[in-house]
Amino acid sequence: MVRLAYYPGCSLEATGKEYDASARAVCQALGIELVELEDWNCCGATSVHSIDHLLALALPARNLALAQKVGLDIVAPCSACYNRLRQTEHALRHDRSVGRAIEEAVGFNFLGGVTVLSLLEALVRRVGVEAVADRVVHPLRGLRVASYYGCLLVRPPEVTRFDRPENPVHLDEVVEALGAEAVYWRGKTECCGASHAITNPEVASALVGRILALAREAGADAIVTTCPLCQTSLELRRPAGEAIPAVYFTELMGLAFGLPGTRTWLDKHLVDVGPVLSAVVQAVS
Amino acid sequence: MEREERRPVGAVMVVGGGVSGIQAALDLADAGFKVYLVERQPAIGGRMAQLDKTFPTNDCSMCTLAPRLVECGRHPNITILTCAEIKEVTGIAGDFTVRVRQYARLVDPEKCRGCGECETVCPVEVKDEFNQGLSKRKAIYRPYPQAVPNTYTIDIQKCLECVECEETCTAGAINPFMGDREFCLSVGAIILTPGYELFDASARPEFGYGVFPNVVTALEFERLLSASGPYQGQLARPSDGAAPKKIAFIQCVGSRDAAKGLPYCSAVCCMYATKQALLTKEHVPGADIAIFYIDMRAFGKDFERYYERARQNGVRYVRCMVSQVAGMPGSDELVIRYRTEDGVFREEQFDMVVLSVGLRPPAGFAEMARIIGIERDAYGFCKTWEFYPNMTSRPGVFAAGVILEPKDIPEAVIDASSAAANASRLLQAARGSLTTTRTYPPERPVANEAPRTGVFVCRCGINIGSVVDVPEVVRYAAGLPGVVHSQEFLFACAQDGIAAITEAIEEHNLNRVVVAACTPRTHAPLFQASLRAAGLNPYLYEHVNIREQCSWVHQHDPARATAKAKDLVRMAVTKARLLSPVITTFLDIEPLVLVVGGGAAGMTAALSVADQGFPVCLVEKEPVLGGNLRHLYYTLEGSDPQALLYDLTVRVEHHPLITVMTGAEIVSVTGYTGNFVTRVRQGDLEREVKHGAVVLATGAVESRPKEYLYGQHPRVVTQTEFEKMLATGRTAGLTNVVMIQCVGSRQEDRPYCSRVCCGHAIKNALKLKEQNPNANIFVLYRDVRTYGFKEKYYREAREKGVLFIRYELSGKPTVEADGEKLLVRFTDPVLNTGLTLNVDLVVLSAAVEPRPETARLAHLFKVPLTPDGFFAEAHMKLRPVDFATEGMYVAGLGHAPKMLPESLVQAQAAAVRAVGLLARRRLESLGVTVHVDARRCSGCGICLEVCPYGARFMDEQKVARVIEALCRGCGACVATCPSGATQQWTFEDGQIMRMIEAALLG
Repeated sequence: MVRLAYYPGCSLEATGKEYDASARAVCQALGIELVELEDWNCCGATSVHSIDHLLALALPARNLALAQKVGLDIVAPCSACYNRLRQTEHALRHDRSVGRAIEEAVGFNFLGGVTVLSLLEALVRRVGVEAVADRVVHPLRGLRVASYYGCLLVRPPEVTRFDRPENPVHLDEVVEALGAEAVYWRGKTECCGASHAITNPEVASALVGRILALAREAGADAIVTTCPLCQTSLELRRPAGEAIPAVYFTELMGLAFGLPGTRTWLDKHLVDVGPVLSAVVQAVS
Repeated sequence: MEREERRPVGAVMVVGGGVSGIQAALDLADAGFKVYLVERQPAIGGRMAQLDKTFPTNDCSMCTLAPRLVECGRHPNITILTCAEIKEVTGIAGDFTVRVRQYARLVDPEKCRGCGECETVCPVEVKDEFNQGLSKRKAIYRPYPQAVPNTYTIDIQKCLECVECEETCTAGAINPFMGDREFCLSVGAIILTPGYELFDASARPEFGYGVFPNVVTALEFERLLSASGPYQGQLARPSDGAAPKKIAFIQCVGSRDAAKGLPYCSAVCCMYATKQALLTKEHVPGADIAIFYIDMRAFGKDFERYYERARQNGVRYVRCMVSQVAGMPGSDELVIRYRTEDGVFREEQFDMVVLSVGLRPPAGFAEMARIIGIERDAYGFCKTWEFYPNMTSRPGVFAAGVILEPKDIPEAVIDASSAAANASRLLQAARGSLTTTRTYPPERPVANEAPRTGVFVCRCGINIGSVVDVPEVVRYAAGLPGVVHSQEFLFACAQDGIAAITEAIEEHNLNRVVVAACTPRTHAPLFQASLRAAGLNPYLYEHVNIREQCSWVHQHDPARATAKAKDLVRMAVTKARLLSPVITTFLDIEPLVLVVGGGAAGMTAALSVADQGFPVCLVEKEPVLGGNLRHLYYTLEGSDPQALLYDLTVRVEHHPLITVMTGAEIVSVTGYTGNFVTRVRQGDLEREVKHGAVVLATGAVESRPKEYLYGQHPRVVTQTEFEKMLATGRTAGLTNVVMIQCVGSRQEDRPYCSRVCCGHAIKNALKLKEQNPNANIFVLYRDVRTYGFKEKYYREAREKGVLFIRYELSGKPTVEADGEKLLVRFTDPVLNTGLTLNVDLVVLSAAVEPRPETARLAHLFKVPLTPDGFFAEAHMKLRPVDFATEGMYVAGLGHAPKMLPESLVQAQAAAVRAVGLLARRRLESLGVTVHVDARRCSGCGICLEVCPYGARFMDEQKVARVIEALCRGCGACVATCPSGATQQWTFEDGQIMRMIEAALLG
């Protein structure tokens, strides 16, 4: 049994509720026990790091301190949260002067016993792709999926140290384990522009439009994401007429695992997943 | 004297058998030293052997290198130790003991004939490193067909020990019980030329190397272009073998990349990409090629023209650092997204992407440096000193080539000669103590024999063989009158080819030899040596060039190319029947070197020659020595040029073997290689200098700009003038300074890059920043060409706030006076808007141009000039300090613009080349001299007038005689002789007439 401290972050309580629900369900199905951090606070993404460097590290550090208290590694489903937490952990481990400032601000001593994981990393590293494949009851045969990692999950590589930064593959492996086809496409790590979604929506729209076009170019039926910010951008900022759905990888897992809540998660999407996923969805529900 | 002077060991070890090592070995062997050439690979040749063509002349790399390989292999004073590396160095300069380990190649080099039978039966196929893994080789192999030594090697790691090869080898050369061996060699000096490795392109994963098959490195692409490459020169992309029509080159992969720990410029990639682009256009007409770059660094001699030629050929140069290469889903195409000059992002598809990977020290160099006990620099290259560019931190150990800093072939060759000069200087007292001279068997008399001709036809790989039907030519030759033997070769110039000709002469008792191959200029002497080895006079030889004259010019018409080859062979066979032995004479060499020019290069050359034991006469036209060095006050790396000036001047003036003539000029030059007579005027006095060799080190000057108010406004100066201001502290009040680059360079009237100006500007900018950190410096440039390690100072300048702003030739900045100050207007390409600066000083990076008297000297010494007015060396790549005429050498700025340390190196290189000639003591006359039939000579004297060498004189009987040693074989007298009395050996009227008849009657 794998036990991890669960850090949902703000978006999983709002725009990304279906991610939260699917993440919890999938983890349960794979035997991961998620212990939600008590009294966790906002990580500060996407704005604080452009305003106050120390605060941008201190906010996530408080969550690390909480995890250290319960002695569990943190899993953060949101890529932005993950990146902030991971950057903080990196600073604490590798930069003594910054580390000391963080510790002073938060009032704790980082002992180095706990680490930060993305949800994808937790599944691939702590459970394994084989275990995922073993749990599949409805292989998603015929479904062509573009695995979308975004910019924060694997970069900067010296901080994340998880997958190949230029051509990451772990999400593709998970997709293939579910029986779907992970298509080769060239938008894997493109930025979705989420941090500009409010301030400069044109930029975000242009980036999202490009990502969706690249997925279409590769013949994908759907884009699968690991991040609530990406997912929201891909749905909200898309050009008119673009119909390709964007789903969380945990939702696909729910489908393939035959988890009972899957239908309700997919119903929350702003872009209709039906035309593409209906066949699979029918089979499941 | 308390210290006992012991004579040093007259041998040198050269470690690394690439083009640098080969050059150093040949120079030292010619200068009278025993050389051990140690190479880790099974054959010498290094990287140059892997190249297809070389820039900026597009010469075939192997064709120019192969004669050197063979010369190295045949030189009586060079011992090549392949599969070997050094393990320990003890002793001191002049007397080292080096422990060498030679790994078992499992094939006995004494027995192996290089026939290749073993290779055909070997069942194991592995990746061929020579072709960069793009093809397969066997477990028993030879790296490439022209390999020296021409011995096969068993790859122990891959061998299955099936003994197929052992059973097949008729020579019994395969010895599976051969073990590694270790032995010690005694040498006086060591020269390190370990070369370089290429940056591992997979360390820049965004370019998809190793992910997409059509993303290749430049060296892989070079092999794809090469006739000896995996597709025999049919350019094909790896994924499907299709000819790529659209190719992108990405520059600076593993160069100028501080994030990857490789902040320096690799110096060669801009030009090799340009070369590959031009070659691709030849292979695939209409190919669309884009080169993505940061700065186009075409800084070397004739590079800018080459770059211009590529642009005119339609090669697109896109100034943008590409951040990603992506695959097109569902196809083998690649996509590159880039920003155009006008700021728009564009996506473009390509069939292939070539990564211009940078150069780095070889992996084993750290260990080598540890074994020898020498220091490495911050980048892991060999540490040397700016004014002592070949000296390592251990006395007696020298280094040359790319291991010092990334550089191209000619610079590596110059470097190698310079390192050889250093060793030769150190071991001067032991010169000739361990060498032997080449001996040939006595010549066999053939006068009374009927002609027995052998015809040897070379395929030159596919150079000839793919067009000319070589077997047909061989068959045809066999039927010609007097031909008793004919055969073909894959590479006649390979060591086995040369040996096979000697064998055939002996076996078939041949007394005439015809070789149909490539150019006689480089290759005839090789084949003639095989005649001498068989006891045949080397002039019983006729050369046919069926490559340049058949396969290359008629490559689209194989049938007629073959017919022409047959015609040429028939003509040669006809002439060969009429050849008679030519007896050459010997002439003593005047053991003195004349050095013209007393600047940094001239003084360095003079000192090097003199320290190598030969007297020097140094002629300088100014009243004082120093040349341009007098106006240099500091260098980029922080050395003191004035200290160097003092050091050189004092040493030159006090050297017992150097005669200095200042305020002197050359009046006339007569004589010939080994025996020149030059008249020098010094004031009212004129004196005659007899010398065996000459080094022209006459320098160049900073041009006087004709634009930007230079000479009209006191606040517009050149970089040299600014340097003096900085050195003498006249920079107070300079707050805003603009530097304008390429003033008079890279434009129509002076289409070359002056090379030194980018470094000069950055040096001065940093100096001003040092004196006044608040100074604002704006450098208006076209490309920043801080090649090699100079890139460091470009970065430093930017870090210190020097602003670099690009301009185009079509939009030059303008300068106008504003009272005491100046207004400089230009367009900022980033903001895309016009800007005006009000500045205190405008500094012009004025072009380097040849001195006005260069042309006069070229005329006097009968040496050629380039279209730009610099001296033209014998060969751009492999003879960068020689003139075509033996005994004449060039060094310094007169050759081309270059930095001070580069002049110093070239000067030492010129010195050892001259010493190599003088050390021969005597010179053999040419075979193609003229002779006169006294009975037919009417004594008209026309020949005396036309002879440019003064080789004809009238004797008392009114017969125009010949001084053989002076005759250069130009044939002018033969052509003008009205009575046909003068004939030229091997070009006699009767021979030529029969050749013409053979041509017409064919």
